[in-house]
This record gives sequence, C-alpha cells and structure tokens, in this order.
Amino acid sequence: MIEVKDLTFSYGKISRGKNKQALHGLNFHVADGEIFGFLGPNGSGKSTTQKILTGILKGYGGMVSLFGKELKEVHTQEFSRKIGVLFEFPYLYANLSALDNLHYFASFYPKEQLRDAEEVLDELEFKRDFLRKPVSTYSKGMRQRVSMARALISSPKLLFLDEPTSGLDPSGAVLFRRIIEKERRKGTTVFVTTHNMLDADLLCDRVAFIANGNIVALDTPENLKEQNSSRSVVVDYLYQGRREERRLEAQSLKAGIPFPYDELISIHSQEPTLEDIFIRYAGRRLS
Amino acid sequence: MKRISSLLKKDCRMMASGKFFLVALGSLLLYTLFIHFGYLNFMGDNANIYPVYLYDPEGTYTQASTLVHSVASRKELDAVLAGDAGSGVGIYVKDGKPNVVLYAGTEKVDRHRADYALSLLHSGREYKPETVGDHTPEMKQRREITCELLFIEIVAVGFLGIASVLFKEKQMGVIWLHAIMPFPKSLFVFSKVFLFLLTDLVFAALMTLFNVGRSEAGGILPAVLIQTGILSLIMALTGFCCTMLLKDFKQFSLAYLVIALFTATPVFLSANTAIKMDWIYCHPFYYVYMGLKNAFFGTPVTMPGYYICVVCVIILLFGITTTAFRKEMGKEG
Repeated sequence: MIEVKDLTFSYGKISRGKNKQALHGLNFHVADGEIFGFLGPNGSGKSTTQKILTGILKGYGGMVSLFGKELKEVHTQEFSRKIGVLFEFPYLYANLSALDNLHYFASFYPKEQLRDAEEVLDELEFKRDFLRKPVSTYSKGMRQRVSMARALISSPKLLFLDEPTSGLDPSGAVLFRRIIEKERRKGTTVFVTTHNMLDADLLCDRVAFIANGNIVALDTPENLKEQNSSRSVVVDYLYQGRREERRLEAQSLKAGIPFPYDELISIHSQEPTLEDIFIRYAGRRLS
Repeated sequence: MKRISSLLKKDCRMMASGKFFLVALGSLLLYTLFIHFGYLNFMGDNANIYPVYLYDPEGTYTQASTLVHSVASRKELDAVLAGDAGSGVGIYVKDGKPNVVLYAGTEKVDRHRADYALSLLHSGREYKPETVGDHTPEMKQRREITCELLFIEIVAVGFLGIASVLFKEKQMGVIWLHAIMPFPKSLFVFSKVFLFLLTDLVFAALMTLFNVGRSEAGGILPAVLIQTGILSLIMALTGFCCTMLLKDFKQFSLAYLVIALFTATPVFLSANTAIKMDWIYCHPFYYVYMGLKNAFFGTPVTMPGYYICVVCVIILLFGITTTAFRKEMGKEG
C-alpha cells in the first residue's frame, strides 16, 4: 500500500542558508490492511512524513509510492478520493453543525463512495441531540468524533490518523480503537501517528520509531519488547514476617523458587514498555 | 457543480455568521442617509460644478455659458488651472477648435470634466452633451459622492471582509482540511472572490439607484457595475493573498493601513482635491478610480488597453493567490 524509499525533506532553501533537514532518508513499507504506527516526539519528522504521504507537502527527495503508483505521478484529486485523514486537532467549522460539516466535506467526494453521515456518527456514539447544534457548543471529545466521522465518511482505502485518541476519555479511546480495528477488518490500511504508547501497543501490527528525521527501530510491538527484554522476573514474597523482593533470571525459575520463603505475593516479568524501548533507541522520551 | 455550490453555500454562511451582509446593509443605509440628509444639505446649491476657464483669443465662442470664466491670456489660463488643479478645466481655442487643458487628470481618463466644459461652450444649443446628462449641481454632487463612498466601501469593507472570513477559517484550522479534499484548489479562491464580487455588485447597484436616482442610474449602471467588478476583484484577490501571507488579523490591519495610506489615499486626494501629484499617472489605482468616476458621469472608459491591463492584473492576482493558498495549506500543524 505504502512504499517509502530514501525519503528526504528540507524546510527552507539551501541557497539561503536557512535549510533545515527534517527527514534523512526514511525507508519503510506498509502492507495492505495493516495498522502501522509511526511514533516519535515533537519535531522528530512524523508530521512531515504524514504530510508528504497525504500529498500536502511536495518537493521531497526519494521515492514515495501509494496504491502502487509513485506519488509524484499520481493525480492529486484521484489520490485524495482514496484517503481519509484525521488531523491532530479537530478542525471543523464552528458555526456549522456536525451534520452540516460532514455534508460539506462529503460533497467533494463521488456519491457512490459516501457513507451516511448520521450512521457514521451513530457508530462513533455521537450524542444525537447535538447533531444539528453548532460545533462551537461541543466538547473536545465530541469534536474528535465528528473529525473521525469526516475521515471515515468517504470510505477511504487508506486512513491517516494523527493522535486519534487525543481528547477522548478512556471509554472513548476504547471505542476509537475498536472502530479502527473494524476499519482494518474491512480491508482499510491505517497509518497511525502518535505519542500514545498504549494506542500503538494495542492497535498496531508494526511500529516505527522516528527520532531526528531517522527511523531508529521498526518491528512488531511484540518483537521489539522481546528483543529489549531483560528476561528477568521480580519475586515479591514474605519471609519470617518481612516482605521482600528479589530479581531473578526467568530461566532460574525452571526448578521452582530457588530461595526460602513463607508466602509468595507476586511474580512480575520485567518486560519493557514501548516507551522504555523508544528511550533506549532514541535516547529521549516521547513527550 | 456540486462542489462549487457547496463551497458557495458554506462561504455564504460564513459571511452571514460574520455579520458581513449586515455590515454591508448598514453601510448602504448610512451612506444613503448621509448623501440625502447630510452631504447635499451641507453642500447646498452653491457648490460649483467644475470651474471652467476659457481663453478664446479669436472670439469664436460668443454664446458660452455664464458659468465659463474668460481669461485674457494663455499664461493666465495656466495660472488659474495651476491654482485649481483638483477640478478646474481650461479651454484654449485655437483655429476655431476648443482644446481641453487639465492639470489634474487627462482628457482621456477624466472625460466627464472635459465634456462638461465643452457643453458650457455651446450653452446647450448646437453641442448636445449627452454623455454629461442632466448635470445640475445636485446631480453632479450625487454622482461624485456616491462614487467616492462606493470606492471607499469596496477598497475598505470588501478587502477587510474577505480577510475576516479567511482568518476565521484559519483560526478554526478548516482551511488546512481543504488540502486533502479532492477538488481543484482554485475553486476555493474562486468561490470566495465570486461571492464578494456579487455582494459588491449588488451594493453598487443599490447605492447608485438610491443615490443617483432610478432614471439617471439606468444609463450609467452597466458601466458602474463593470468598474465596480474590476475594483472588487482586485481588492478581494489582494485581501485573500494578504490573508494567506500574514499571520493574524492584527498584522493584516497593519498591512491594510499601509495599502490605504500608500495606495488609495494619493489616488483619492489627487482625483478629488486640489492637491497636485505629477507621479499619479504612474499609479495603477488612479486609472481604476477614474474609470469608476467616469462611469458615474456616463463616460465609460473605452480604451482597450485599460481592459487588457485589468484582465492581466486579475489573472496574475488569481494565480498568486492560489499559489499562496496552496502554500498555506502545507503549514498545518
């Protein structure tokens, strides 16, 4: 679905000495129907990459191919019809209602690929009382739902989601993840840009870590965790009336607990989180 | 078609929610009340139409109107015109032919003054000043003030109006969403400029009808609308372009002050007052303003060069604006 080779991009003109290279030769591919996570801190180049992939930024170096065609050669309108984009902020006309916003943006797509606006909003558990009220009266979570509906209304084959669960309460975040998963089951390819490690861990088939315009790691979340795991466990126990904790190699538990104890309280594996792994690769935190 | 009607509908709602139509209607009422109950009363019947000075050494025009002031020499003619550069018209008769002398403006772009002066020479007998019409002092004042207020309205309110709508879209971030929408981006520019053009044309038509009068307006309205359209397109496109290039409305207001100060003011002063600026002929806005003024006095610009230049400028501005819009869309985030 997406094929990126030696992707470079610079802001400013080299001749004016204001050149700032944002991307230094990225290489990755996203398969059809895959949920691909693109993780990185602010200024790492992830938004720039998404803008190039969505056709907003031109003038990049290297090769970007989408739907099997080089992006530079694709007719922008033809390409835009196949993609849905959710921006980080819920950009909507504040003076228009949710339905008016959706009908307006839907009017740019061919009728045959459109979904019913109310149906999409229902799926996103949007409060029906607000359907015809101006967006200015909505909470952040409701705006995010309308934005997501806008991205989904044209039944895109490729979905770009920038911080999809931002501004949502935990149940809203669960709902969004369920909907993204549902889209994937329909065959949609999803490119998720996020800071949120939980989203990446629960949703993505593969994740790429980007730092300073370079991809520093790319694999499935499971593989990344396994590769970076210390393979140790922490045993929490009671012995002679005192609570104690001891770190052991997982292998050493094969023959049972190798030390005296009165009562076992818990055994925790020392598996790193994606955030730990990111820090290990990039040398800094995500946010 | 569906896309353009969608854009137009949305822009219409944006303009309505920004109270643009209300402001335009308020301006129309205010200007009309001012012209009917303020300006005309204040100016009264004492106001002269353009002072006309005649140097006729051969005594050809013996039946000239009493409104014509005779001078004794060419030197005297030049002296009085230099002192009355804003509105005075000189006629120098040589070999029986009247030659119009204008110190501010040229005969080609300021024909209503020339025609008015020539009409006085014949005292309405042989020369039929059809293009001048029934220019009583009141009618002259009505046309002049209507033209001036219309110019101010389009240069100021139209220009700021498009910016206020666009800055709102920029503030809401929705302008960037259009980057990923499957439609030609020039349609976005076209829709806005078209709506502002339409509003300005309606405004100009009503302003002319209310203040010049129905019977007089009929003859001049097509030319007035053409000139209004030209001015409206130039201002709306410039406003659009500035909005894309500038960060916020504060910066835009400063840019507007600069434009008003250096672009509109000299033209206005030069064309309507006795202030003389030799360089004003190099100012493109001078020709646009005089085009509008001439239209109000029933002498529309017929020079093809003027229209060719105007069309080229509008096409160029449209291209620059669309490019600036595309660039702005890449700035998301």
